[in-house]
Amino acid sequence: MAKIIVDGREIECRERIPVLYAALEAGWDIPHYCYHPGLDVVASCRLCLMEMKMPHPKTKEMDWSPKLLPSCQTPVKDGMEVRFNSDRVRDNRRDCMEYYLLNHPLDCPVCDQAGECWLQDYSRKFGEATSQMVEAKNVNPKKDVGSKTLLYQDRCVMCSRCVRFCDEIAGTGELGIVNRGSKSEIDVFPGVPLENELQGNVVDICPVGALLDKDFLMDQRVWFLKSSDSVCPGCSTGCAIHVDHNRDQVWRLKPRFNPGVNDWWMCDEGRFGWKYIHDERRLDRLVVRRGAEIEYPDWSALDEIARIRFGTVVKDDGEEKVAGVLSPFMACEEAWLLARFIREIAPKATLVMGPVPTEGEDKLFPQNNGDSAKFTIRSEKCPNRRGIEMILKNAGGPSVSFEDFVKKAGQSEFAAAWVVGGYPGEWVTKEFASSLAKVKMVFAQDLFSSPLTEAAEVVIPSCSWAERSGCFVNHEGKIQPFEAAIAPLEGCQRDGNYLFALSGESGLYNASRVRAMMAEVMPEFGKLHVPPSLPKHAH
Amino acid sequence: MVNETTQSAAGRAWTETDVVYVDQPELTMSERLYLPQVFGGMKTTLRHMFKMRLRKEKVVQYPEQKRQLRKEIYRGVHRLNRDDQGRVACVACFMCETACPAHCIHIEGVESPWPDREKYPIKFDIDELRCIYCGMCEEACPVDAIELTPEYHLVGSSRDEMIFDKEKLLMVYDRTKDEKPRKNPMITGY
Repeated sequence: MAKIIVDGREIECRERIPVLYAALEAGWDIPHYCYHPGLDVVASCRLCLMEMKMPHPKTKEMDWSPKLLPSCQTPVKDGMEVRFNSDRVRDNRRDCMEYYLLNHPLDCPVCDQAGECWLQDYSRKFGEATSQMVEAKNVNPKKDVGSKTLLYQDRCVMCSRCVRFCDEIAGTGELGIVNRGSKSEIDVFPGVPLENELQGNVVDICPVGALLDKDFLMDQRVWFLKSSDSVCPGCSTGCAIHVDHNRDQVWRLKPRFNPGVNDWWMCDEGRFGWKYIHDERRLDRLVVRRGAEIEYPDWSALDEIARIRFGTVVKDDGEEKVAGVLSPFMACEEAWLLARFIREIAPKATLVMGPVPTEGEDKLFPQNNGDSAKFTIRSEKCPNRRGIEMILKNAGGPSVSFEDFVKKAGQSEFAAAWVVGGYPGEWVTKEFASSLAKVKMVFAQDLFSSPLTEAAEVVIPSCSWAERSGCFVNHEGKIQPFEAAIAPLEGCQRDGNYLFALSGESGLYNASRVRAMMAEVMPEFGKLHVPPSLPKHAH
Repeated sequence: MVNETTQSAAGRAWTETDVVYVDQPELTMSERLYLPQVFGGMKTTLRHMFKMRLRKEKVVQYPEQKRQLRKEIYRGVHRLNRDDQGRVACVACFMCETACPAHCIHIEGVESPWPDREKYPIKFDIDELRCIYCGMCEEACPVDAIELTPEYHLVGSSRDEMIFDKEKLLMVYDRTKDEKPRKNPMITGY
């Protein structure tokens, strides 16, 4: 730990971090555009300039530096003294802000960034209300830089964060700065559009409204959005994300700072892969089939239906004829409650983990570069394989792989099965569907209708992860909690709710309460991985 | 944890001594009769009935006769203005929706087909039943696209009919533009 003096106040900070970040962590609001803790320092925006005490070259006395120094490029050193509250620093900020607004179109009312724009915030806090510019503003047309991103060049402040991101993190380097001086602009090379798999991040790190997401363009004003802390279910990396939603509709996902897991980033597959939440084909009512008859009972009846039907099978065919398939898309709490329910009804029941979808190989970023990986898109396209494995191990008793389960079910070794899906795409294979026909009674808990739900006697509509709460265990074994962002689809119930009631508990499902119960048998669940929040004024 | 509502402002819990019981005062004889009050009210009514001057000045034989309004400031039915090219002037910035205290405005913005404009509303609904006619939308609009008109005959036979969509609001403009011209037709753009 180093001790430095900022504005006359001594603060303690980590060694070798920039003075800017140390001050931000200590609560100062230092304006900055080009500095991003995940990228190289270029010190080009000149907003974070500070004064520092240094020895006078002749007298060797300590005095304030004659020129301003960039605080983002100056590492902290024990005993150094800097200040941001001097007139020279304030004047510099004000002049810089005026300069940034010279060619800015001031089209905040139609700009999607308005409300979360650092140009708005900084010009309000550090800038002037008027501009001395008398010449006509540069007008720059908007550019279509990639399939998912749009560039409004006249809103750009040339912080070059996007350029550095493409160079250093994505490793593809599509973006570059062309021309010089006041004519400089961000552009792509002809015929090489911005098409890397992390391109959504350039929109996030853009401090102004220059780079915008085509998917979210003009959909919502950001001040209407409410944000929930969640975890991306797209792959086993388990990126921490914000789910931005309004009136029970998800509008966008944004990465949440999570050092060591996804840092500041997330991939496009996760970012745009949530659309199935609002798919019209989703199952939305509890269905019970009695032969050819179809009933739509109330949710409160599910408890009794499950207990009676499973009880009958246990009595008629024996305990070992019962199976439960836990999906790697379930939260740990839900999987644990279901496993406990099945084990309670039939202690010798077989527990199975559903198929783990994989796709190609892990993709490491930066690409085409020998550097160590700064971001990884995992090939395992489910969030909670590790968590389900932990629960199966803890539950003990017979457990087989999914392939064996399909084989055994095909040989009529099971009379009853509770199968959980929750996969965003089609997942029921032909072999699985044909072996399901040999199982007398199937409870299917899934998002979409499939051969599984058609074969099932009881169809329980499942909720997507944005409607549920719980925790996922990522590929490293980090247990990350996520909260429910939106209310469940009409006609559905949160999976936790009915599984909680089913396992004989009273009261409402509360993920942390279930976790506390789990921690008694699995102490790992007592310790969650909750990432630290970014300093208030950092971005 | 002690529930906050059971605590006094001083931070301690309520006790019996903190409660003051107030009894309703007894009615006097004349109050119990009610008649003096009835006649008192009748006196005011009759006074107004026979005041001819008041009747001549204030009473309007509606609907044959209409009240004189100050058209510039009267806050009646909304309208969506057209710009000089006859397009909807709104730029779909959602400022009115944000400012609206009654949450009666619902806009859907899309990219505009015109080169001089970034965004325009594909849908613009105002629930006239929910609206409280406060005029905040008019104040919030950066391009003076939404305005309240002197129209006050607001009738409909169903709730759905009272949700005015973009076309209906533009029709109100066409109807009322002579009566109340658009404030600042010079500003377009965004």
